[in-house]
Amino acid sequence: MSLLEFDEVDKYFGETHVLKDVDLNVEEGEVCVIIGPSGSGKSTLLRCANRLEEIQGGEIRLEGQSISAADADINRLRQRIGMVFQSFNLFPHKTARENVTLAPTKVKGLKEGDAERRADELLDRVGLGAQSNSYPNQLSGGQQQRVAIARALAMDPHVMLFDEVTSALDPELVGEVLDVMHDLAEEGMTMLVVTHEMGFAREVGDRIVLMADGKVVEDSPPEVFFENPKTDRGKQFLSKLL
Amino acid sequence: MADSYSEGRTGDGEYQEQFLNDKTLRRLGAAVAGLFTLAVGGFIAAIIFTQVDFELFVEIIHPQFVNAFLRVLGIVLLGSLLSVTAGIFVGLGRVSNTRFTNTVATAYVEFFRGTPLLFQLLVIFVGIPAFWPPGQFPISNWQYPTAIIGLTLNHAAYVGEAVRGGIDAVPEGQMEAARSLGMSYVQGMREVVLPQAWRNALAAIGNDQVILVKDTSLLTVIAIPELISAFRNVNSTTFDPWTPIILVAIAYLMITIPLGKIVNHLEARADWGGDRR
Repeated sequence: MSLLEFDEVDKYFGETHVLKDVDLNVEEGEVCVIIGPSGSGKSTLLRCANRLEEIQGGEIRLEGQSISAADADINRLRQRIGMVFQSFNLFPHKTARENVTLAPTKVKGLKEGDAERRADELLDRVGLGAQSNSYPNQLSGGQQQRVAIARALAMDPHVMLFDEVTSALDPELVGEVLDVMHDLAEEGMTMLVVTHEMGFAREVGDRIVLMADGKVVEDSPPEVFFENPKTDRGKQFLSKLL
Repeated sequence: MADSYSEGRTGDGEYQEQFLNDKTLRRLGAAVAGLFTLAVGGFIAAIIFTQVDFELFVEIIHPQFVNAFLRVLGIVLLGSLLSVTAGIFVGLGRVSNTRFTNTVATAYVEFFRGTPLLFQLLVIFVGIPAFWPPGQFPISNWQYPTAIIGLTLNHAAYVGEAVRGGIDAVPEGQMEAARSLGMSYVQGMREVVLPQAWRNALAAIGNDQVILVKDTSLLTVIAIPELISAFRNVNSTTFDPWTPIILVAIAYLMITIPLGKIVNHLEARADWGGDRR
């Protein structure tokens, strides 16, 4: 059993078939990087993994439990799935520390003091120990995204989803966020990452999954994918990067 | 920001050659404002020195106007509290995904915003007692409950629309982030969306509450001795219009101006991280 399993997943937006029979298994401790042209369904796949989008066919399972079933206890399952968004989505009315403590106190019933200690630890870990009392609008984009990562980690997720988390950042701020993700991967976190950062994909990814037109078209280790892709779609995609 | 930007341009020779450049525009604005102040100030001075009877002024302040003012203030405080509270629920109904709830909330807003407050007051004041045989209606001084019920029902519709607008203006990603952390819809609304919606809606709610203050003038029709009634009393016995008019104006402004300050204060307090002041 894999940690996260996509089993013949079908997804429609109205008439548009955006995910076609997608099969994908993410193993524990693995960093799975999804790349592909825009509109290929990468972000949709990620959003289906914690049911921000409903699927119309197939099944998605986390540690063997169905996420997509009608009777799934989704609030409980989502606690095991951390998600980081392209647009950060920090809560603007709360300080960095309050952003991190909100869900642990309200959802897990953690005591205020314990949650704060944990939050300070996590903010330290993403290099923002000194900014814990700042509001999101007082932080740079890169800092906000690192708070968002700390916020997701505070629920002790078993897998982290990263949805183009550096796409909205100024170029000079991308590195600090990728560094945090790099550290996280080295600590053994299971990660499903949608990104356009090929350097990161190559260095940190255990697997490269290429999506096109709602399908997985290639699934290879990075050294294979970037040196000698198995498929024509893979070669085509790489040639456009240069 | 805007100021320093326009100042940066005034030194520019090219701009100064035009007739309506930044500098002349600023002077023109100040001149118009000055003339306006002079005209209004002169008018008020003329009224005070030629029209106001100071003996009468002192005589009618207490108890007549003080009582009317306190009565209006009490009705405003209760009506505000109830209409804002009810309005939040109307707003939540308006954004509900449940078709039935949504339809009921929409119908509520359409009716209470679509008919005049005066009509609604009359329906409550004379319509409700008609369910009892003549003289049997158990509530005495029904005009006061009528005032509170009418103002609350009417203004809850407007506050509800302000709250709906405030919720709609919160980016969808906020609820998504809350849900992705395992929070329920109710938790996400309460902890994340509503505090932001409240700030978005504050200006519109404050605006509506100022209108509520002025709407108490309609209560003269259902025989509540409020400020307009006080004016009519004095005017009909003394034939002096301006003395009571000045008192009416002062009384309303004594409520509406502090109300505006309270709204400003609430807005400043909801300015997380301080990008506004």
